[in-house]
Amino acid sequence: MAAPCGGAVGRPLCQFLSCLSRTAVRYTWRRQFSATSLCRTTLQTQRVTEREGSPWTLMAAVCLQRLPVISADCHPVEQRFRELTRQMELEKSLFSDHELRLLEDAERMNRKQTGSYDSDEEDDNRGQDIVLAQDLEDSWEQKLKKFQPAPRVKADVDEDLTSVERCLADSLVLLAEQQVGSEKLWLLPQAEWQEGDTLRQTAERALASLPAGFSATFLSNAPCGVYKYKLPKAARTDSLVGTKVFFFKAVLSAMSPSAASNAPLMWLKKSEMQRFVKPAYTMKVERFILDP
Amino acid sequence: MVLGLICRGLSRKTVASSVLSGEHHHAVTLSPWIASVMTLKTSAPLRGEPKKKKKVDPRRELLMRERLKKKLKRMEKIPPEYIPIEDFVTPFKCLDDTRVRSSPRLSFEESEGRAMLLKEWSQYKQKQHLAEVQAVELALEAQREALEELKLESEELYLAALKPDPLLFPFSHKGPVYTPPKTKYDAPEGKYNDITKVYTQ
Repeated sequence: MAAPCGGAVGRPLCQFLSCLSRTAVRYTWRRQFSATSLCRTTLQTQRVTEREGSPWTLMAAVCLQRLPVISADCHPVEQRFRELTRQMELEKSLFSDHELRLLEDAERMNRKQTGSYDSDEEDDNRGQDIVLAQDLEDSWEQKLKKFQPAPRVKADVDEDLTSVERCLADSLVLLAEQQVGSEKLWLLPQAEWQEGDTLRQTAERALASLPAGFSATFLSNAPCGVYKYKLPKAARTDSLVGTKVFFFKAVLSAMSPSAASNAPLMWLKKSEMQRFVKPAYTMKVERFILDP
Repeated sequence: MVLGLICRGLSRKTVASSVLSGEHHHAVTLSPWIASVMTLKTSAPLRGEPKKKKKVDPRRELLMRERLKKKLKRMEKIPPEYIPIEDFVTPFKCLDDTRVRSSPRLSFEESEGRAMLLKEWSQYKQKQHLAEVQAVELALEAQREALEELKLESEELYLAALKPDPLLFPFSHKGPVYTPPKTKYDAPEGKYNDITKVYTQ
């Protein structure tokens, strides 16, 4: 492999060269072996040597999202358009049974009030005098007022960054504070890849290792993003250049109430992530978090 | 000729003996009279039972079956009625003239205002759509990059990542509502009479 070269110009070039040399070596190895039973064992050793030869440690992280629980507030244009469509639909519609009844009752009241009105002339006294349609409407309104729905926005819960129930109209992403090298950073919960696991299993392990109990649905076997982190030059060796973190998307389905409030976890909106997470990391992570 | 007669007699005897052996296993050497008695004994319980209307019952059943089959054939020949689609039939209530609303006259300013709002709305929706398309493209690009990096790392993990997940579907998620769900809320039990018409062909 190419030795780490100094200078900003040299770094991408050396990366390119190392890439080329790796692929070249792989191709020559493949040309030598043909499809025989001997070849299978040699291919396996080849895979192990491939991974051993690569200077990157693999890690898998989980991007756990809590999808919005309530509908978002409408933009002013949306509100005006909604009113306009309601008005237009009302103008183009026909009278409903209830409205006809209202009109008839109003007419009858007018006729009664004029005085020259004989109730015996009425053909149908089916008891519609007893219950007017207006009274029905009033009783329905009373019933509605008795029901108190839960408030849409709770300001105090919104400010608590560790609560899952903040900002119900947006989708939130889980962040955990983890030790990376010598510092504690806020990032998506990650775990190191071990032999015998697929990357998705590593991501599931990362989620399970958190102190709070989450039940999530992982959306696919394929990663949705990658973040390459090169170690500072002092820590770099021939066999270790940096880490590659692969992100997997998951959707939160339920949370067990045994969540420890002391756990270093945060639920953040996409716009708030910049405050806590390193800019290079946010750049890569923001791409696959769709808002909302 | 004498030989032929002897042959015929011999053959008759052999025939008789073969017939006897066919009818009854033991009576090979017995005379035909005893054989018939044996046959009578075996069939006695069958003949002894009283049979009520032996010939009329099967005839009646056959006739019934034939009548049913004829009816079925006649019914099958008629093409089945189509089930009416309720949505395509305008109910008589809607064609009533008394229900027609008086359409209000819009002033010039109001109609202009409406046209302007519609144009604003179309522009707003176009921007929203473009933003959505761009966001999706970004996400796809990020995934493509991730898969490339993974391929550079190891083929095995790359192939494992490409496999479809059979446990994902059927996937369901309840979408956003207007007010958040109340904890400890007893919804009142609602009774309803289902009056949908069910048609059978």
